[in-house]
This record gives sequence, structure tokens and C-alpha cells, in this order.
Amino acid sequence: MSGGLLGTAAPLTADVVLLLETTMGVALLFGAWLARTRRFRQHAWCQSAIVLLNLAVIAIAMTPSFRLQVFPRIPAKLSKPYYALASVHAGLGTAAELAALYLLIAAGTRLLPEKLRITRYKPWMRGVLLLWWLVLALGFATYFRWYLPRLFR
Amino acid sequence: MRRSMSFAVFVAVVVLGASALTAPPRNLAVVAPQKTESAEVKIDNFSFGPPTLTVSVGTTVTWTNRDDIPHTVTSSDDPKAFKSKVLDTEEKFSFTFTKAGTYPYFCSIHPKMTAKVIVQ
Repeated sequence: MSGGLLGTAAPLTADVVLLLETTMGVALLFGAWLARTRRFRQHAWCQSAIVLLNLAVIAIAMTPSFRLQVFPRIPAKLSKPYYALASVHAGLGTAAELAALYLLIAAGTRLLPEKLRITRYKPWMRGVLLLWWLVLALGFATYFRWYLPRLFR
Repeated sequence: MRRSMSFAVFVAVVVLGASALTAPPRNLAVVAPQKTESAEVKIDNFSFGPPTLTVSVGTTVTWTNRDDIPHTVTSSDDPKAFKSKVLDTEEKFSFTFTKAGTYPYFCSIHPKMTAKVIVQ
């Protein structure tokens, strides 16, 4: 395992994930702006690509790290910020990704039966975007707690 | 009386001589009790201390995580000579070095944390 890109104690994977997630967060805002300017096709492509890329990042990098470093210690050590931040980030992150996947399928395909589709997309999409940024903020907090602990001492 | 004393001395010499010849040989060398050596490495503030530890063959090294975040002790060699689980605060990991050599290792969560054990 090699050292990271950002000069912290983090491994390369963690730094790449942080940079990717930050880019994805900004790209989602750009995608929302596309919808506001009524460029719905580009909006759909942009948001769908980000949701699928994030799914890959979760599967390849985040889940293995969580399983190895956090999962064996919870719930016993949830009182420690190291585990609490990562656990809340993982829980809300899973919810945000599932909600985003649902929106992608409901709004972009005809896979779901009529009953399971939503009609008022705007509040749902805004809500998921807000949740996504909250999860991103928690991801930053987790990164700082794990790899820049001097900030917390 | 003198003859009987001489006979008794003769018999005693013969018996002692015979027992000396038939007894299993004794190892007269002094054997020191087997000494189990141990050494400690502390993990604190994102570093292993001491960063270079020199020990003799057979020494058991124990790493203790004194940091407030988890770390691992992972051999840099391929195949890995040793690898701990994720060690939380105050958890320990021990490994006995049975071969001479230099054993570099690192923390797999924080790869910039490196150190080595020299076994002589």
C-alpha cells in the first residue's frame, strides 16, 4: 500500500476517494444547475453517471475499508468519534445512494411499476442532493479524524 | 583386625569403582536456563517507537497501540512475515522472530508509518 497524494497520513486509496467524492459533489451541483436551465437530457446523464460512479467507489473502496476497520468494533466502540463518524457517514451515505438510485430508475427508466414511481421529482431530487452534501461533509470529517488527528487534539 | 580393615577398604574401592564404571555418563557442563527474550514497540502519535529495533533470534516483540486511533502492524515483505489485525487503543500484537534478518513493517491504515526489526 502506498502513501497518499495530499500529504496526510492517508493511503492513496483514501486520498483518491476524497478527491473523487469532492468532484462528484460539485458535479451534482452542476447537474442541478443544468436542470434549472431546462437542459434535462444533460442533467439526467450527469446525475446518472455520478450516482453510478459513486456506487462503484462505495463497492470498491469504502465498503472494504468499513468492514475491516469499523464493522468489527461496532456497536461497542460507537462512543469514540473515530467509529461514530464513520458509522453515521456509512449509514446516511447508504441511504443517499439508495435514494439516488431510486430516483435514477424512477425518473430515467420505465422499470418500476406505476405505483412505485414518484410524480413530484423536484422536492425528492433536492432532498437527495442535500443529503448527499451532508454525507460528503461527514466524509470530510471522517477523513480528518482518521488521517489528520492533530486537528482534534 | 588389620587384615579385615584392608579387606573392607578393598571391597569399598571395588564397589565404588564398579559403580563409577556402570553409571551413565553425566554432563558436567553447566546449562543455563533457557532465556526467553522480549521487546516492546509502542505505537503512538502516528509512529512506531523505536523506529528500528535490534533483537536476537527467538525474541518475541510486542507492539502496543497507545494512540487514540487504530493501527496495524504489517510486514512489508512478500510473503508477509507477520500481520496483525486492526489494533484499537491499548490492544497488543506479538510476534516471535525465529530467523535472522531485517524485517521492515508499516501500518496498513497509515502507510507512511514505517519501522523495522533487525534480528541478529
